[in-house]
Amino acid sequence: MFDLKINVNNEWIERQIPDGLRLLDFLRNDLGLTGTKEGCGEGECGACTIILEGRAVDSCLVLAVQCHEKHVTTIEGLETEDGLDPVQQAFLDNGAVQCGYCIPGMVLSSKALLDANPTPSEDEIKDAVSGNLCRCTGYDKILTSVKHASEIITSKTNDDDLKAGE
Amino acid sequence: MSEFKTVGKRHRRKDGFDKLTGRALYPQDMQIEGMAYGATVRSEKPHAYFTCDTSVAEKMPGVVIILTAKDVTAMNHHGVLFKDHEVLCEKKVRRVGDPIAFVVADTEKQAEAAAKAVIINYDELPALFDPVEAMKDDAIQVHDGQSNILYHYKCRRGDVDKAFEEADVVVENTYYSPFVDHVFLQLESGLSYMEEGRLVLVASSQYPHFDRLEIAEALGLEEDEVVIRNPAVGGAFGGREDITMQIHLGLATLLTGRAVKVTYSREESFYAHSKRHPMSMWVKTGATKEGKLIATEAYIVGDTGAYASWAINVLRKAGVHVPGPYEIENVKVDSIAVYTNNPFCGAMRGFGATQVPIAYEQQIDMVARELGMDPFEIRYKNCMKKGSMTPNGQVLVESVPLKECIEALQGMMEGADAND
Amino acid sequence: MQMIKQGKGIALSWYGTGYGNGFPDVSIATVDLSPDGKVILRVGATEVGQGAKTIMPQICAETLGFEPGEVTMICEDTDSFKDSGTAAASRQTYNTGNAVLLASKAFKEAVFVEAAQYMGLNASVGLAMEDGLIWLEMLPEKRMTLVELASKITEEDRVLTVTETFTAQTTTMDPETGMGAPYWPYTFNAYGVEVDVDTDTGRVHVTKAYCVQDVGRAINPELVEGQIDGGFVMGLGYALYEDLGVKDGVIKNNRFAKYIIPTAMDIPEIQKVIVEDPENTAPYGAKGIGEPVMVPVAPAILNAIYDAIGVRILEVPATPEKVLIAIKQAGLIFE
Repeated sequence: MFDLKINVNNEWIERQIPDGLRLLDFLRNDLGLTGTKEGCGEGECGACTIILEGRAVDSCLVLAVQCHEKHVTTIEGLETEDGLDPVQQAFLDNGAVQCGYCIPGMVLSSKALLDANPTPSEDEIKDAVSGNLCRCTGYDKILTSVKHASEIITSKTNDDDLKAGE
Repeated sequence: MSEFKTVGKRHRRKDGFDKLTGRALYPQDMQIEGMAYGATVRSEKPHAYFTCDTSVAEKMPGVVIILTAKDVTAMNHHGVLFKDHEVLCEKKVRRVGDPIAFVVADTEKQAEAAAKAVIINYDELPALFDPVEAMKDDAIQVHDGQSNILYHYKCRRGDVDKAFEEADVVVENTYYSPFVDHVFLQLESGLSYMEEGRLVLVASSQYPHFDRLEIAEALGLEEDEVVIRNPAVGGAFGGREDITMQIHLGLATLLTGRAVKVTYSREESFYAHSKRHPMSMWVKTGATKEGKLIATEAYIVGDTGAYASWAINVLRKAGVHVPGPYEIENVKVDSIAVYTNNPFCGAMRGFGATQVPIAYEQQIDMVARELGMDPFEIRYKNCMKKGSMTPNGQVLVESVPLKECIEALQGMMEGADAND
Repeated sequence: MQMIKQGKGIALSWYGTGYGNGFPDVSIATVDLSPDGKVILRVGATEVGQGAKTIMPQICAETLGFEPGEVTMICEDTDSFKDSGTAAASRQTYNTGNAVLLASKAFKEAVFVEAAQYMGLNASVGLAMEDGLIWLEMLPEKRMTLVELASKITEEDRVLTVTETFTAQTTTMDPETGMGAPYWPYTFNAYGVEVDVDTDTGRVHVTKAYCVQDVGRAINPELVEGQIDGGFVMGLGYALYEDLGVKDGVIKNNRFAKYIIPTAMDIPEIQKVIVEDPENTAPYGAKGIGEPVMVPVAPAILNAIYDAIGVRILEVPATPEKVLIAIKQAGLIFE
């Protein structure tokens, strides 16, 4: 057993957990955050993607103990009181959701990319979501959504910069 | 200006918000206080008699009940057309992956451990893996007392033999399409519980009302004693039409009174649901030197594996569609569905009409090439239009914009060239 | 030196939607007026990701003059809706869409009959409804809202609910000749692709795709495009990668590491054209497209491979191994 201290969606949580517990199961079962999905259990499909210390990671391949004193963001952590995250909004506005099962992972991979690189090229976007399998959408509207989110984010940043300069 | 208020508009999906925020619930996301977990024991052999010993497994920690065929309360069968599946196999398995026992325990790990401890003794039988072999008179029967030839679609129009003699070009080939999977992202998962005397089943399905019928019949319940709740479904493509865990769960809850949940692993999922019918398609096409298609002959053999599922409808659709969307006077088609001991096949996107264009669209390209015709040109010459008659004698009354589709395609593809 | 040969290929296809062959293809829809004046659509059109839950309310809303957000669709519990058949065979838009259309039209008529009575009119003829307002076109001061109507009906302890059934028309085929009308409606398309074939590795990459899809009418073009995109990529996987590797009844490729499906890296630039030639027995002319969008993809790719390297691949998937073997067997040398 291990005394885990972990930050999930900006909240520090302390729990005693078995050493071998996957991060995926900790999030879904212990914390009830079922937005993160299991699609294969082998790190091949990306449905379980979360953001760990800024990087998109398959939570089925990570043990909860490996996240001790670290920051994790799940899909539930993206919304704010002001509404949806630009990535979520862009996916909604561009018709990128069909069955929805790949979506939490897809959104988080996209968000991790845009947080690190707000103006990615198409190839960089494809690469960032290459580990997220989708069987419904054919990816095209997902790529469009990420580009759109990038535009929203950079124009917001420009607005903020302008305001800061005033 | 659109004549419509909402038709034709890009309205946002109704369920998009929930799916984007983690609020959408699939059965695996649901929990009920005090629920037990199931694990399925499946055959490792393609064709065998077997006996099943649950005595060791039953004593393992947390085990609530282990269901086998004898526990099924009414009819040990299900199936979308023919009820040739067993809920739990009683004495014989006909494919790798056939369900033999359903273990119910307090935790997932306990259920999985106990499932591994169920002992199956197989008395292997010769097995059929080639549908052409399975069609022979002396082949063993996959289902006792039944021919392995499940269905034979025939189309006979005009006189293909005479037409081939008159044809200036004849092209003949055999094409093949293998076992393919839907690979929907959301793994099979379900949950059953009693609510005010009724059996509730939560499972992702393409047809909740039919599932209800199947469950009620297998368990000996009235239809209105069963309620199906369909939460978010993570893709289907035809792979969620056959019963997988629904009756196992319902039976477990009926016999124990407890809520029971099961979620399949990806490896298990590949075995649990249907596959696309593999087909061998021999096609012969005849045309005049002007490029007019005058004859199509096709012989299609589809392997439906161990169970019928939608075999009849799939091989029928394949047979109807194999001449392609073209006006052809002389057509002879035989399209046959055959049982083997392979994984069972059923509905998958296109349903027989997806396999056959691998043949018919290459055939017409080959005819074009022999005649020095452009692939667009030959299609304009032969394509169906409003008022065309199909090889089955059906008049396509309206909405046949094939020519417009070809024109638009040619415009895009050759227009692109012009810009290079 | 890497040798990439380029090729173009096209394919047409057709698809007869529905259960077919005279099987009773029946859908049932119910439209209720809730006590607080909201429109509730109860219909068994299962949402599997394809968008049934979005377009059925659109069909209802169009008929009743509402924005689709004003129509609530219930489809999750067998207690709350009647059997509408399966979400398969690309039948929901046409079949269940028609049931929704019929129920919505009947609901509108029932609303007009009720409204006429409450407004003291002689007949229900000449009434119009839009955004929940009902009025007599020849004398617009004669008006009431759907909310008011619902309130009055509820006060009288009554409910306004309408259920309609749609049954598709097909016939069985003669078992010896195949004579019959097995499916209706049929959906058509013409797709084209450009491919790069690497003659050293046998790898095929689709660089461009052109998808022209007959839909009758696009109830929601965003959803139609999403289907074309998804169908294209599923077809691409079918053409180039997917094989369960069944041997002696065992599935060799039952994990993602071995059963390869396309990722975002595999998709081409894709251009889509929606062709509308309405089918008059269909709801607002719309036909089903969920399956048709996959059907011409693999043949277009196989035709493009031939155009690129002059070899015919007669089986799918056209894996690198198969392409290299075919090149070798044809005695082709690429320099």
